[in-house]
Amino acid sequence: MAAARTVPSFTPAMLVTWILFATVPFWIERVGLYQYLGVEILIFALYALAYNLVLGHAGLPSFGHGAFFGIGAYAFGLAQSNIAPNLWVCLAVAAFAAAIAGAFVALFISHRRGIYYALMTIAFGQIFWFIAIKAHRITGGEDGLLKIERLPASLGITTFNLGSNIALYYFVLAVFAVVSFLLWRLVHSPFGRVVKAIKQNEIRARFVGYDVWRYKAAVLVVSTTLSGLAGGLFAMAQTSAFPDVMSLHYSGYVVMMTLVGGGLVSFWGPVIGAVAFFLARDVIGSFTTGWMLWFGLSFVVLVLFKPEGIAGIFAGVMKGRDKIVPRPAAAPQSQAR
Amino acid sequence: MSLLNLLPHLLNGIALGLLFSLIALGFMLILGLMEQINLAHGSLFALGAYFAYAICGAKLPLPPDVLIAWAGVPLGLRFATAVVVAPILVAPFGLVLERLMRRTYGRDPLYGLLLTFGVAMVLEELIRVVWGTRDYMMPVPRDMSGGFIMLDLIWSTYRFWAAGMAIVAMGAVWFIVERTRFGAMVKAGAHDSEIVQALGIDLTRLRVWVFVLGTMLAAFAGVIMAPLWGIRPHMGVDAVVPAFLIIVLGGVGSFWGAALGGLLVGMVVGLSGAYASEWSMLSMYLLLIVVVTFRARGLFGKKSVLEA
Repeated sequence: MAAARTVPSFTPAMLVTWILFATVPFWIERVGLYQYLGVEILIFALYALAYNLVLGHAGLPSFGHGAFFGIGAYAFGLAQSNIAPNLWVCLAVAAFAAAIAGAFVALFISHRRGIYYALMTIAFGQIFWFIAIKAHRITGGEDGLLKIERLPASLGITTFNLGSNIALYYFVLAVFAVVSFLLWRLVHSPFGRVVKAIKQNEIRARFVGYDVWRYKAAVLVVSTTLSGLAGGLFAMAQTSAFPDVMSLHYSGYVVMMTLVGGGLVSFWGPVIGAVAFFLARDVIGSFTTGWMLWFGLSFVVLVLFKPEGIAGIFAGVMKGRDKIVPRPAAAPQSQAR
Repeated sequence: MSLLNLLPHLLNGIALGLLFSLIALGFMLILGLMEQINLAHGSLFALGAYFAYAICGAKLPLPPDVLIAWAGVPLGLRFATAVVVAPILVAPFGLVLERLMRRTYGRDPLYGLLLTFGVAMVLEELIRVVWGTRDYMMPVPRDMSGGFIMLDLIWSTYRFWAAGMAIVAMGAVWFIVERTRFGAMVKAGAHDSEIVQALGIDLTRLRVWVFVLGTMLAAFAGVIMAPLWGIRPHMGVDAVVPAFLIIVLGGVGSFWGAALGGLLVGMVVGLSGAYASEWSMLSMYLLLIVVVTFRARGLFGKKSVLEA
């Protein structure tokens, strides 16, 4: 590892991202949008960053991540009414509950990869979703868990009231900044490099002596923990928690965001994807109810022609020439085209 | 609860299982013979149901007098037409999808998964745009609807008709794959594509037909499932999730694995419904986890490229 290129802890891209987000409340209403959208985008950007740890960095296609986001949301609400109405306690419970659920799932699927990994995560995601819908007494079933409060953030000396969308936005931005910084460090740590090696060639990584199972389990748990944290923030933003974020559709949306933004090639890709997703929802959605049709079509086109996503296109333009997508080699199993 | 009381749950479970097997079989054809995962299978299933509704209910984009004449035709004949024509109408969607999927051949299987997921989203949204979000009920001919009394219990007639149609379709697939030259070529192609191509067989063309066959099976399942489940935009997801659960359970690439996996899932759902009807759908996921924990490749699975 000593010979590996060192990556700075801080990068200009990181600062630019944070500063750009920090200015959003000043102009978002002038361009015809609204403050709450900013909160939504930031929370999902955080969620997509956490998700990309699994998809982009470890190469594990999880299609059931909505479950962990939802578990975090429910845990936040339940902790508030049953444990203590304290912001830090509730967020910790949200992250912890999603971590436990992630660890449970990791026990069953960490020896798998590829399609099987996708199918098993769908199955587990459906289990959690199903429980959330049917356990009326705990989760409120399809009516959802209502009356979740936006708790004030107490920092010992001062306390911030997060009741307004702008205050909540800056709180979420602070969490986002901390988490994205830590994730950046994690991805470029020795741990992150082993995960990358496993993505490239799992068998070879095992032969070199890494306990692949443990790394895959760990990366899933870290990702679900942070997804749960994002879910807790979302419960606070919505002041309620609903089972629909746990459905296969929502689990798919985060996959779409991550890929459209360019999560496969870029650390910040998922953030771009989350912005694109919500802008598409609100901007295309204001012209037609079938906005998902257009977003879905652009997703399909990107998967086919530019899996590197928006970040990949941007990088290509920056280099002054279009990066050529490596043509799929003649398929081993077929005479493609 | 005595055994006799459980009998209807078991029989209903078997009927449901046969329908699940049918949905899973089309999915399995594409997965087992082409090594492509088709998450849009459920959307093709849903399209089949919607087209069948449009044919049965005479809601087609045709001149009004043709429609009035068609609405006068007995429902039995309209239903029979829907069973045959709806899968044919859905087949072009499968053709286009196969065309798109060719770009992902030879790449990480993740791309095929992502592509078909995106297509599933697009098709579902297309259904919402064309037909709206409301539920539709599929009319069933009088001879097939209603119920009958056996062993002092009321049984739904259509359920047995649907199970019967599922058996016929599965028999046809078994015959095509196991007893025809086409099936032999396709299976050989999945086993060793280079040799098969060296023998002068156009594997690309064969694969198109496999994909179309899988698509038409999905649509056919959608048509016969429509009266039982009702028709709504997300019925595709409701169908595709059990389908690939059955495939993982039965083992990738195995005809009998899909058939038996479907039956098992149907029976487990049926029997658990006797005790806790609210939670019955959860039982199939638990079954999957139990089986897969002890048999990593499912009941009849062989090693496949999907594990790589």
